[in-house]
Amino acid sequence: MNLPHVSAVFRKELRETLRDRRTLTVMFLFPLVVYPLVSLLMAEVMAGKQATDEARTSHVALVDPDPVSRATLTALLNKKGTGIEVTRDVSLAHATGLDVSNNLIDAVVEVAPEKTTDKAKADAARGNAPLPVRIVYDETRPVSDQAHDRVTKALAGVLPNGCFQSYAVTGASLATKTKVGGYVLSKILPLIVVIMTMLGAFYPAIDITAGERERGTLETLLSSPVQRFDLMTGKVIAVAALSLLTGVLNIVSMSLTVAEGARLAAGTPILAIPWPRAAATLLIVVPAAFLFGSVMVAIGAMARSFKEAQTLLMPVYLLCFTPSLVAGMADFRLTGLTMLVPGTNLTLLARDLMLGEAHLLPTVIVLASTIGFGAVALAFAARLYDSERLLASTDADLVSLSAWLRHLVSRPAAPGSPEVAGAQPVPPSAGQAVSLFGVAFVLWFFAFTWLQRWSLIPGLMISQWGGFLGLVWVYARLCRRPLGDVLVFRRPPPTALAGAALVGLSGWIILGVLADKVIPPPREVVENIRNLIHPPGESRSLALSVFALAVTPAVCEEALFRGAILQGLRRQFTVPVSCLLTGILFGIMHGDVWRFVPTTILGVLLSWVALTSGSIIPSMLVHVLNNGVLIVLGYYGLDQAGDHLSGGATIFILGAAVVFMLGGLATIRRAGRQTAR
Amino acid sequence: MSDPSAVTVERLKKRFGQRTAVDGLSFSVAPGEIYGLLGPNGAGKTTTLRILAGLLRPTEGVARIDGVDVGLDPRQAQRHLGFLTGTTGLYGRLTAREVLAYFGTLQDMPRPRIAARIDQLTAALDLRAILDRRCEALSSGQKQRISVARAVIHDPPVLILDEPTVGLDVLASRFLREYIGAERARGKAVIFSTHYLAEAELLCDRVGLLYQGALLAEGRPRDLRAQAGDATSLEEAFLRLVTDLVAA
Repeated sequence: MNLPHVSAVFRKELRETLRDRRTLTVMFLFPLVVYPLVSLLMAEVMAGKQATDEARTSHVALVDPDPVSRATLTALLNKKGTGIEVTRDVSLAHATGLDVSNNLIDAVVEVAPEKTTDKAKADAARGNAPLPVRIVYDETRPVSDQAHDRVTKALAGVLPNGCFQSYAVTGASLATKTKVGGYVLSKILPLIVVIMTMLGAFYPAIDITAGERERGTLETLLSSPVQRFDLMTGKVIAVAALSLLTGVLNIVSMSLTVAEGARLAAGTPILAIPWPRAAATLLIVVPAAFLFGSVMVAIGAMARSFKEAQTLLMPVYLLCFTPSLVAGMADFRLTGLTMLVPGTNLTLLARDLMLGEAHLLPTVIVLASTIGFGAVALAFAARLYDSERLLASTDADLVSLSAWLRHLVSRPAAPGSPEVAGAQPVPPSAGQAVSLFGVAFVLWFFAFTWLQRWSLIPGLMISQWGGFLGLVWVYARLCRRPLGDVLVFRRPPPTALAGAALVGLSGWIILGVLADKVIPPPREVVENIRNLIHPPGESRSLALSVFALAVTPAVCEEALFRGAILQGLRRQFTVPVSCLLTGILFGIMHGDVWRFVPTTILGVLLSWVALTSGSIIPSMLVHVLNNGVLIVLGYYGLDQAGDHLSGGATIFILGAAVVFMLGGLATIRRAGRQTAR
Repeated sequence: MSDPSAVTVERLKKRFGQRTAVDGLSFSVAPGEIYGLLGPNGAGKTTTLRILAGLLRPTEGVARIDGVDVGLDPRQAQRHLGFLTGTTGLYGRLTAREVLAYFGTLQDMPRPRIAARIDQLTAALDLRAILDRRCEALSSGQKQRISVARAVIHDPPVLILDEPTVGLDVLASRFLREYIGAERARGKAVIFSTHYLAEAELLCDRVGLLYQGALLAEGRPRDLRAQAGDATSLEEAFLRLVTDLVAA
C-alpha cells in the first residue's frame, strides 16, 4: 500500500467535503440539533400525555344485588391510588353494556353475572371459591380499556384468608370484530400511510428537481416560455400522484395484511376490516400527497445535486415524520392547535376516520390547512425557480482550516476582498445567526441540561455566563468585532427604559393567562416549575434566586438571542420576520413543549423591544422584570393567588396589564423614533 | 421607424454582487446574419447569452429579441428564440420524439404542427434513425442534433447558440455549421458564441470581441484583422487588440 497516496486522497476528500457548508450543516449540525429536538419533543409530549392519562379517573358502574358485597367492592375500587370512582348515579345501578357503548360510563362491573351457577354463588358466599366478577367494557375505547385494566388490577391483588383470590375477574368486551379491526388498523394504518406517502414523494421530488439540474436539462427547460408557477405545479402534481399511489397501495396492502395476519395468528378470523372506513382514510392521502410533494419539491429545488438533495431532504423527512409518530403513539384528540399541525393532524384524522369518529369541522380544517401549507410550499418552489440563484454556484474558495472556520460563521467573501485579507470585521448574517443557535442548542442539550440537573444554581451560572455569553464572545472574536457591538450594548434613552419597565411588569400576567388558556400544561409540569423557583425544603435566599433565575438569563440569553442572533437575522429579514424567528428559536431553546407558545411570544416581544429601542438594555430590563416578579411571588407563596381570583377580578387585572403593556410599547416606539432622528 | 434588427442589446450590464460580468455591452444582429460573440473564458459571453435567453435579468440596459424587451417580458421573448448550449441536456429516459413533442407543447404549438415540424427537422437534421430511441442511448453528436431540433422546434426567428460544437467531432461540428448556415439563408438571426476563433471566422458575418465584460472591437472578420495591423487570423487579431488594451 502506498501510504502517501492514501493520505493524499484522504486529505483531499476531507478538505473538499469540509469546504461545502451545506453538506456540513446537514451532516453535523442537523443531527446534533434535530435529534435532540425530536427526542425532547416526544419525551415532553408523551410524558404530558401519560400524566394526563394517569390523572384521569375511571368511572365505573357497579351492579351487585348483594348490599354487603357491594359495599366491600365499592370500598376496594374507590381506594386511593386505584384511579377508579364507582358512580353514585342511581340511574346506573343496573347499568348494561349499552351504557358503556353510549359513553355514559367507562365500564360496568357485574358481580355474579347472569351465567354464574347457583353452586358457584354459594361457594363464593361460603368463602370456598372466588366471587365471579365480569367487567363489561369496550376494548376499542382507550378510556374504557383503561377502566378495565384498573378494575382488574384492583381486584386481582385481594388475597384474604384462604390464599386464593377473592374475585374471579373476567372481561367482556363489547367491540364487534369489525370494530376491533378498525381499532387495530387505527393504531398502525394512519402512521404507516402518512409516512409512506411522504416516502413516496421523496425520490421523485429529488429526481425532478436536483436530478434535472444535475443532468443539465434545467437550463433547457427554463429557456422555454413556461411560467415558473405552471412548471412547479406540473412537477408537484407528478410527485403527488406517485406519492398518492404509494399511499393507496399501503392502505390496501396494510388492511389485507392485518386481517390475514390476525387470522393466521389465531387460526380463526378474530377481526374484520371495516372496508368503508378504510376507504374513507383515502381522503387524507390526496392532501397529504400534495403537501409532501410540494415541500419536497421545494427543498429539492434548492439542491445542486442528487446527493445534496438527499442530504437536505433527510432531516426534513425526519421533521415531518416526528409529529406523525407522536400522534400515532399517543391517544390525542383532534382539537384546537393539533388540527393545524401538519402530519399530526393528518394522522389523527385518519385514525378518527378509521374509527368512524371523524367530525365535519375538524375534517374540513385539517384538509384545508394541509392544502394551504402545500400551496405555500408550492409558491415558494415556484419563486425559487424564478431565481437566478438556481443557475449559479456560489461557494467561495477556501484555503485553510482557519479560513474554513471563519467561513462557517461568516458570509462568503469574494477572493481578494478585504474580508479575506483578514483586516476588516465580518458583518453579521442570518447564516451566522442560525449556526450560532445550532451550536448553543447542542451545548445546551448535551452539556448544560446535564450541568443543571447535577446542581441547579452552579449549573445555571456555568451554562449561562460561560456557555451562552461565552459563545457570543467567541463569535465576536471570530468576526473580529467588539463584543459591545455584537450585543448592541448602547445607552438607551430614559423613556425607553421606562417603557421597558412597564412591559416587564405587565408581560408576565398576559403570558401567564395565555399559557393557561391556549395550551394548559399538566399539573406536574406546573409543579416542577414552582419547585425550580422555590425548591421545597431548601433555604435558598431570594437574592440568590433573583440573581440566578432573573438577572443571569436576562443578561446572557439576551446577549445570545437579542444580540448576535437577532442582529444576524435582521440583516436578511424584515423586523417582524426577524422578531418571529428569534422568538421561535428562543422558545425552542427553553426545551419545554408546554411553555413553547408563551416563551416564543416573550421572545418576539423582547426582540421587538431591542430592535425598536436600538439597544439590548431595554430588552434585558423586560426580561429581568418578567422573571423577577414571578420569583418574588413564588418566594412569598403568592404565585397561586391568581387561581383563587374571581372571573371579574381576573379580567380586570388582565385588562390593566394589557393597558400597561400597550403604554410601555408605545413609549419604547416613541423613544426609538427620537433616537433614530 | 421600427428597429429592423432581430436582436438589439443596449448598454447592457450585469452584476453578481460586487463582480461585474457584463459592462455596458451594445450590439445588434439583423435577420439573416450570424453574429459571433467571441472572447476568452470569463469574458461575459455566457452571461450575455443567458440574459438574451431570459434566464438572467439585466442589472442595467436593454436587450430585445424580435422587438420584445427580455427584461420586461422574458416569457414572450422566449417564444421568439431558440437557445442551445454545448452542455444542454436531454431527458435520457424519453425518446427523441417525446422530447421534441414536450418542448413543442411548452411553446404552445398544436399537435398537428408539432408532428409536421418533427417531420421537417427529421429531414433537415437526419434524425430518422434516432427519433424513436431513448436519448440516453445516443452518441454525443446524435444528442446535439436532437438538441438543435429541440431548440428550433417552434421555428424561431432568432437562434442563440452558446459554444454548440464543444465536445463534437469534426464531422458533427461541420454538420452543425452547415445547418446554421442554412438557417441564415432562411433569414434567421444567429448569435454564435465560441472561443474557437477559427470556427467563428468560417461562419460569422460579423463578430464582437468581448473582453472583461465589454466590447473590445466589432466588425467583419477581415476588417478586424485589418484593424489589428493585418493580423493573419482572427485569433492573432484578438491577441494584438488585448495586448494594446492592457498596455494602454
